[in-house]
Amino acid sequence: MSTRLIRPLAAASVAAVLALTGCASGAAAPAEQAAATTVTVEDNHGSIEVPVAPERVVALDNTTFETLSEWGVKLVAAPKPLMYDLWPSLSGGDEVLDAGLHREPNIENILASEPDLIVGGYRFREIYDQLKEIQPATIETSPRDGEEHTSELKRQTAILGQVFDKNDEAAKLNADLDAAIADAKAAYDPSQTVMGLITSGGKISYAAPGEGRGVGHLFPTLGLTPALDRAAEDASHGDDISVEAIAAANPEWLFVLDRDAMFGEDGYVSAQELVENAEALKNVPAVQKGQIVYLDGSFYLDEGIQAYTKLYRSAAEAFAS
Amino acid sequence: MRQTVLPPRVALPAAGFGVAALVVLSLFVGTYDIAGDSFGAEMFFISRVPRTLALVLAGCAMAVSGLIMQLLTQNRFVEPSTTGTSEWAALGLLVTVLLAPAAPLLVRMVVASVAAFVGTMIFIGILRRISLRSSLVVPLIGIMLGAVVSAFTTYLAVSTNSLQMLGTWFMGSFTSIVRGRYEVLWVVAIVVFLVFLYADRITVAGLGRDIATSVGLDHTRVMLIGTGLVAVATGVTTVVVGFLPFLGLVVPNLVSMWRGDNARANLPWVCLGGVAIVIVCDIVGRVIRMPFEVPVSMILGVVGSAVFITLLLRMRARG
Repeated sequence: MSTRLIRPLAAASVAAVLALTGCASGAAAPAEQAAATTVTVEDNHGSIEVPVAPERVVALDNTTFETLSEWGVKLVAAPKPLMYDLWPSLSGGDEVLDAGLHREPNIENILASEPDLIVGGYRFREIYDQLKEIQPATIETSPRDGEEHTSELKRQTAILGQVFDKNDEAAKLNADLDAAIADAKAAYDPSQTVMGLITSGGKISYAAPGEGRGVGHLFPTLGLTPALDRAAEDASHGDDISVEAIAAANPEWLFVLDRDAMFGEDGYVSAQELVENAEALKNVPAVQKGQIVYLDGSFYLDEGIQAYTKLYRSAAEAFAS
Repeated sequence: MRQTVLPPRVALPAAGFGVAALVVLSLFVGTYDIAGDSFGAEMFFISRVPRTLALVLAGCAMAVSGLIMQLLTQNRFVEPSTTGTSEWAALGLLVTVLLAPAAPLLVRMVVASVAAFVGTMIFIGILRRISLRSSLVVPLIGIMLGAVVSAFTTYLAVSTNSLQMLGTWFMGSFTSIVRGRYEVLWVVAIVVFLVFLYADRITVAGLGRDIATSVGLDHTRVMLIGTGLVAVATGVTTVVVGFLPFLGLVVPNLVSMWRGDNARANLPWVCLGGVAIVIVCDIVGRVIRMPFEVPVSMILGVVGSAVFITLLLRMRARG
């Protein structure tokens, strides 16, 4: 065997040993503490047994952060770049290891944090198998594509409620979401057309009804009448559309996700400036009547049940006024 | 390519007429029904006219930039996107946005142009130091250089959370060009005009340093001025519309295959060709997914790479 072959082999076996010790210590830790209490939940991959209210949690799913933060869960590793400074109680100080960004996950840190439970996320789904190797108690609960979005959010919250022993709190979150949707539906007049937009880098894109993040889900959930109903090619970033086409669609309402708002200052043009100052849009009813709902700046990083509840609430308020 | 049947005196106006027809077509293609309501006429001036002017200016700028670069480096496969010039401009723009977020557009363009100039000089500097200058090695070096620069730009963008914006900025697209968003492009009209004045000297410089010097030309100065003009055109176009790949490659090559290498005589043709290709690609982009748009850079990429390969094969056939 040449040295060229030996090296990767050696590296692989070291990695395997590391992975094994990771598993072993991960499995051993809960045995001391709360070995008796486990719960079986249905996550996106099927039935899985996980410890209840685990001590050492790694959460990678941005749609769970708000909930975990509200419930006072502490993390041992978290994708800090993805969290920005929105959840200081989760991303914490140096004692919380950085799991990296989904483009470049720091698997070593996840391993080193010796988790009892990993909450995998849709951005991190590519490393699901690796996470499983580190800790078999890895759950994925993010809303699945193609399923009804609201029930997916509630399903996720219910699972988290079971795992973290916060069933009542979970039920409350779900009830709040239902209430916000009911209010928005009641306030909406279906004869008024709606269009979803995403702005980034000083440009406006179109968010197709039913798909993508936030803006798209409004349509099926609230039964909105689209001003322009076309399938999306790029659901999460929006499709290239000219102001002419927006003007031609003549929407009564606009829902706008400002992608750059979170990262603010870097020479960014706000969605408000782009939409309301566009000469071509000044005759569009939504702009004339000021019927524009801007999504929260943090929405794009959050996307959890609270973010949607807030969005539906603001829709309800806007429709009612 | 064979000489056309049309005498040159008729050919240029005829081509000009053809391009003018495209310009008019561009003015009347779009989602909003211009004749439909009273706002139509206003929309025409808000959206169509600026967009078409931007197409004309950017098309001219990138095609002429390609021509100058090809003459100065004596290589047919060189243009701002194969010399790293565009990538340097992008780096310059990102750095300004990060360091001085509130800086006006003019400052951004100046910095982008200066970065493009520095980058192009580095490229030319490397060229001077290598002995192997076969037609393919030169653009390869440029592309590699550009890749290194854009890797650094991407790193900067990732670490400052602005990758998303970066992608939107440099995607060559005229979708968001409306009144108030394109006017700075007129700078490139000045550049093209200066190129006209300077064309003969650039042609002579294109014969090589030795010949140029022996006929009494300050080769270094022409090199600097030529590179400067390219840098400004590229910097401004990159800041306003993004990357327009292959345009500078395809147009001058087609023209010089047909007419030879006299820069002054070719310039009007290069301008017309650049405008025609950009307008056609943009109209296609506007129409194929109406009411959505396909960015012009994507269509240029497809068209450009096809022509690029054809050129390569033809050159090999000719030896």
